[in-house]
Amino acid sequence: MSVTSEVSTDDNTITIKISGRFDFAEQNEFRDCYYDTSPGENTQFIIDMSGANYMDSSALGMLLMMREYLGGNTANISIINCSPDIKNILTVANFQSLFTMD
Amino acid sequence: MPTVLIADDDIPNRLVLQAILERQGYCVLQADDGVQAVDVFRREHPDLVLMDIKMPNMDGYEATRQIKAMSTDAFIPVIFLTATSDSEGLARCVASGGDDFFTKPYNRILLQARISALLRIRELYNTVQYQRNELDNHQKRFDREKQLAKRLFANIIETGSLGLPYVQSMLSPMSLFSGDILLAAPKPSGGLHVLLGDFTGHGLAAAIGALPVSSVFYGMTAKGYSIAEIVTEINTKLKMILPTDMFLAACVIDLNPGSHTLSVWNGGIPPVVIYGEKEQEITRSLSPRHLPLGIAGDESFNRRVEMIEIRQDDRIYIHSDGITEAANPDGLMFGRQRLEDIFVKNADSAELFNEIRSELIKFQDGGAQQDDMTMIELRYNQQQLEDTVFHDKAQSKRAEQPSSEWDFSMGLSADLLGCFDPLPLLIQSVCDMQGFRGQRQQLYTVFSELFTNALDHGILNLDSTLKGTADGFAKYYMEREVRLSNLADGSIKIYVAHQPNAEGGLLTIRVEDTGSGFDYQENQVSLESNVGHSGRGIQLLNTICEKIEYMGNGNIVEVTYRWR
Repeated sequence: MSVTSEVSTDDNTITIKISGRFDFAEQNEFRDCYYDTSPGENTQFIIDMSGANYMDSSALGMLLMMREYLGGNTANISIINCSPDIKNILTVANFQSLFTMD
Repeated sequence: MPTVLIADDDIPNRLVLQAILERQGYCVLQADDGVQAVDVFRREHPDLVLMDIKMPNMDGYEATRQIKAMSTDAFIPVIFLTATSDSEGLARCVASGGDDFFTKPYNRILLQARISALLRIRELYNTVQYQRNELDNHQKRFDREKQLAKRLFANIIETGSLGLPYVQSMLSPMSLFSGDILLAAPKPSGGLHVLLGDFTGHGLAAAIGALPVSSVFYGMTAKGYSIAEIVTEINTKLKMILPTDMFLAACVIDLNPGSHTLSVWNGGIPPVVIYGEKEQEITRSLSPRHLPLGIAGDESFNRRVEMIEIRQDDRIYIHSDGITEAANPDGLMFGRQRLEDIFVKNADSAELFNEIRSELIKFQDGGAQQDDMTMIELRYNQQQLEDTVFHDKAQSKRAEQPSSEWDFSMGLSADLLGCFDPLPLLIQSVCDMQGFRGQRQQLYTVFSELFTNALDHGILNLDSTLKGTADGFAKYYMEREVRLSNLADGSIKIYVAHQPNAEGGLLTIRVEDTGSGFDYQENQVSLESNVGHSGRGIQLLNTICEKIEYMGNGNIVEVTYRWR
C-alpha cells in the first residue's frame, strides 16, 4: 500500500501520504483518501509527496478529480515535499496555478 | 433429451441396451454394423455413441475413427462395448478415438453413471467450444475494426504537412493509437502553424480526443485564425468532451516568415528549445506558461502567446515528455540533462535531430517503451517558409459561379477591436460570395495589410521603427497588446465592393480609421518604411493590387484588385 491518509487531531487537516510510484494503479486508494471525508469549510488537504519517486500524467488527472470533488476553485489542497522530478512534472503542467505548492 | 446411438450386430444385446436407456429417458437410434453406424451418425447427430467392436462390413474401431473425424468441432463421446478386458484391445479402443469402454454383461446403474458423466463432459466441452468461438470472432472483429479505425484516424489527422523540407519529426506510439499528436498546417498569410500534443493516457480514448483537435486546428488555420484563437477553441471543445481526469498537454506555434517571429502557446509541454545557428548553442528555452488544454473553463483560460524574434537557420525543437522520460532497462530516465548535452556536444547542427534520435535509442537499449515519444525540429528558412504552398481546403463550394456584383461594409468600434479579429470572417465572406479561384492567400494578404496598418498605426499609433532594433519585435508586440487592451476610442470602417467584367472582376477595398492619418503626398519615403505587421507592407500591396490610393488626411486607403 503506497497511499495512506491521516487526519490531524484538530480535524482540520487531512494529510495524504504518497510513496513509491504515483500512477493509475493507486487510483482507488487515492480516491478513498478523500471520498469518505466530510471536509468542513476550513479543512485543508495536504498531499505529502516525500515518499513518492515517480508520477505520470494519469496521476495529474487524479489530482484534478480530487480538486473537482472538493469544490474546484474553492478546494484547499497543498502539495508538499516534492522531489525535483515530481516538482518538474507538476510545474510543466502549471499545476501551481491550481494547487498550493511549496 | 439426449440421443444415443447403439451400434451392435447382436440384436438381443441391442434390445437390452435400448430398454435400459429408454427407461432413463434417452432417445435411442440403432445400427446393425459400422457402415450403418457412420450413416446414421451423419444423418441424426446423436449426442453419444455405444459401439460394439466386432461387426460385419466395418468394425467398431474404423466406425469410431470416421465418426470422430466427422465431429472435430464438437465432443461426441464414444463408449466401446466389449466382452473382453484384455489391455491390448482396450488400448486399441482409445487409439481409435474411443472415450471409454464398458464390459459385458451390463450393469444398468454403472452404464447409466458412465453415460451421464460423459454427457456432462460433452456439455462442458460444448460450452468452452462455444465461448472460444465467440472470443475468436470478437477478436477478429476487433482487429478488423482497429485496423479500419487506424486508417481513418491517419486520414483525419493527416500529418501531410510534416513532409516539408525544413521539418524533421518522429512520432513513436507505444500502442496502436498514439496519445501524442503532431499537426502542421501552412497559413493563408504564409508561414506555418504546428501543434504538438500529449493526451493523458494512450490508445483509443486518446485517439478519439485527437479528432476534434485536428479538425479545429486545420479548419481555423486555413481560415486565417491566430493560434490564440485556435487554442481557445480547442480548450472549449476539450473541456466539454473530456472527463475531468483527462486533458491535452499541447504546444502550438506560429512561425511567421514575414516578421521573422515565432509565437508560442505552451500548456504542459516541456520547454521549446531554440538552437542558434550563429551561436551554435541553445539561445532560448520557452517554458510552458499555461495549464494543459481541457482543464480551465472559458472564464479562466489564458490564451496569452509569447512572441520572439527568430533568425535564418535557427532551429526550433519541441518534444513530448515521453522523450525525457524514456527509460533504460534499469529504469533510469533519459532526462533533460542528457538531451541538453547533445546540443552542447554537437558539431554539425544539420545532424542534431539524428543525434538526438540515435542517442535516445542507444540509451533505451531495448528497454520497453513506457510512453509515446514525439519530437519535431523546424529550421527557420524564410524563403522555404514563404514558398510553402497553402492548400485552400476551405475553398468555396461556389468556385465556378459567374462573376456578379455585390458590396458590403463593416464597422468596428474600439471595444470590438480589442478582442475580435475580423480578418477570417471577412475572407470567408468574400470567398463565399465570389469563388476567387486559388486567390485566397493573396486576398488574405491584402486584407491583412490594410487592416493591420489601420489598427497598428492609425488607431494604436505604434511606431514601426521599433521593429528595427534587436529585440524590437517583442517590444513592439508587447506594446501593441497593452494599447489594444486599453483602447477606449477609435473605430475602423471596411468597405468591400465587387464589379464583374468579361475576364473576372474588380474588387475594391476601402479601409478608413479614425486616426490622425499622415501626409501621404509629402511623405512617400516614410510611407515605404511604414510597413505593416507582416513586414512586407506597402511594397507587397503594390505588386498584388492594380491601384493604391490614399484619401482624406491619410486615414483612408483604397485598393483595387483585378482578378481573372
